[in-house]
Amino acid sequence: MLERIISKTAVFAGTIAFAAGLPLTGASAQETKGPGGETATPANALMLSDAEVAKIKEGKYSAALLWHTSSDFVNAVTAGASDEFSRLGVTIVATTDAGFDAAKQKSDVETVMAKKPSVILALPLDPVASAEAFRPAVAAGTKLVLLSNVPKGYVQGKDYVAIVTDDLFQMGKQAADALAAALGKKGKVAWIFHDAQYYVTNQRDNAFKTTIEKDYPDMKIVATAGITDPARAQDIAQALLTKTPDLDGIYVTWAEPAEGVLAALRAAGNTKTKIVTLDLSEPVALDMVKGGNVAAITADKAYELGRAMATAAGYGLIGKAAPAFVVAPALTATKANVAQAWQDSLHRDAPKSVTAALK
Amino acid sequence: MLSALRATEPAKYVIYVGFLAIFALFAVALRDSGFLTTANLLNIIQQTTSVTVMAVATVFVLTVGEIDLSIGSVVAIAALVAAVTMREFPWPLGVLAGLAAGVAIGFVNGALVAYVRLPSFLVTLATMGLLAGVARSLTNLQSVPVEDDVFNALFGSAALLGIPSLVLWSVAAVGIGHFVFRETRFGAHVHATGDNAGAARAGGVKVERIRLACLVVSSTCAALAGLLYAGRLHGARYTLGETDLLTVIAAVIVGGTRLSGGAGSVPGALIGSLLMGMLNNGLILMGLSVSDQMIVRGFIILAAVALTLRDRTR
Repeated sequence: MLERIISKTAVFAGTIAFAAGLPLTGASAQETKGPGGETATPANALMLSDAEVAKIKEGKYSAALLWHTSSDFVNAVTAGASDEFSRLGVTIVATTDAGFDAAKQKSDVETVMAKKPSVILALPLDPVASAEAFRPAVAAGTKLVLLSNVPKGYVQGKDYVAIVTDDLFQMGKQAADALAAALGKKGKVAWIFHDAQYYVTNQRDNAFKTTIEKDYPDMKIVATAGITDPARAQDIAQALLTKTPDLDGIYVTWAEPAEGVLAALRAAGNTKTKIVTLDLSEPVALDMVKGGNVAAITADKAYELGRAMATAAGYGLIGKAAPAFVVAPALTATKANVAQAWQDSLHRDAPKSVTAALK
Repeated sequence: MLSALRATEPAKYVIYVGFLAIFALFAVALRDSGFLTTANLLNIIQQTTSVTVMAVATVFVLTVGEIDLSIGSVVAIAALVAAVTMREFPWPLGVLAGLAAGVAIGFVNGALVAYVRLPSFLVTLATMGLLAGVARSLTNLQSVPVEDDVFNALFGSAALLGIPSLVLWSVAAVGIGHFVFRETRFGAHVHATGDNAGAARAGGVKVERIRLACLVVSSTCAALAGLLYAGRLHGARYTLGETDLLTVIAAVIVGGTRLSGGAGSVPGALIGSLLMGMLNNGLILMGLSVSDQMIVRGFIILAAVALTLRDRTR
């Protein structure tokens, strides 16, 4: 049953297919394929000449950012996009948060269209509903740059400029590699995944599982648990630990529930079981730096992703053919590189508590 | 003029004045941002149609002295049931199936509340969770597209004489709801039951049947709201309606319906619903960051509540 949900959700967008299998070389974009099997273009390959920037500036364009939620990741993407837009002389006229609600997203599109933005950056929440939701924008000739998901039936170059995504497969794979490194490539592992139809987490969770199963024969996933509400992570981890007390490692789908898992381990006086999770968070990083349960955190270059979205929008505005599928790389943060990781991922200094604990 | 209104029926009229004041504020502040365009104003009504339909039914439920927390989950179930049915069968069957799901759930809620005599808060809290789980498992978390053009037109994007169908649904829900609430024997019995169930029973009102009926109306309207979402989005998804419950209750209360039962207002609920939609719309058009939108929205709702609902007897 679970397998069925997972395998189905893996093709949720019905478009972007992530092909696994190539060895990790750091050039992560090689492993990720676009909707029609396009090769991924690394985010830093998007370039606008001075003449092109000047041409965009002349247009006095405007942009709307239609996000799916509010989070550290969204903030970093927004920061990257805002900086690039200000370089291009594009004004941001509206920002929205759909709270993961496809109906709210449709309302958001309708609302911002009153301001006639030249560009929309958005994460379409649902392949079916979003196809309908973004239709007014497409019809009005607004340039769409999409984050991670593609509305069903949308054609690149006609309906949207480009898809920009973080390297979801690499994030999950690097989490598996990091856990393997921490455990000497053997041991019993629990897999706590996001039990919802949500492309981003589904991709990352499955990449972790696949990597463990394929690349690490001496590591076994002995326990799995799905979460929908991060607030319940502690209960779930407690139950897992009761059932399987000799766990060597736990994968947690993202940082917020990882805090709950950490709390469960601490309550049990467990200092042995290692945690890997995704997305930088201060309490999780602090535990890692202090030599606690957290072995590594993988993240994406979210700021760069936002910058790339804005640059791709620039391509659309001057009619320059954009690469169909752009990928911002993933990174692994350990105690050794955590300060740099904060810069690379979120484009700001690591929290004071983390840098202080490093000293 | 204001004080005269307040002296007569405070909660009844101040919300309208407040609504107009906020509308005027947006109209001035956003005069260059397209707020006052017909398209944008129609958008606000269309975006709130589902909430309005549920708010009308919630006026009945709160007035009879009960509450229905399960409406958000019913939205998702009805939309999914309709969408799945329309894969195989013509659209009228999809609509019937979706509404039937709502009626059935309403009967279960209502029977447990009216005849088994369980508190509606707990009954519907339980069914809310139960139904959310059913909605998730119904299609294995998959979105279901609706490709029937007639359905999508009727429940979503068509227009009659230039008026979008969703606007007509809002008008119909409020018109029928207001008439039933104010002009029929059923409406009078709802008031009587909520005001004093013992007295109502002594006066010959079949109190249990009225309570059951209100919960069936609530669930059926939530199912209709689900169909309207499905038509608007050309598809259904298990997350539909998830966040609507508090918006609906807030809209109804701001509109002057008493949380403790016995009194309510259908037009007030419409105004409450439009107020919520207008705030979403206007604050986005102001170009505020998402956090600032939430803060400002909170302040405005507080102000509206302070104006309309201050309890002078406390």
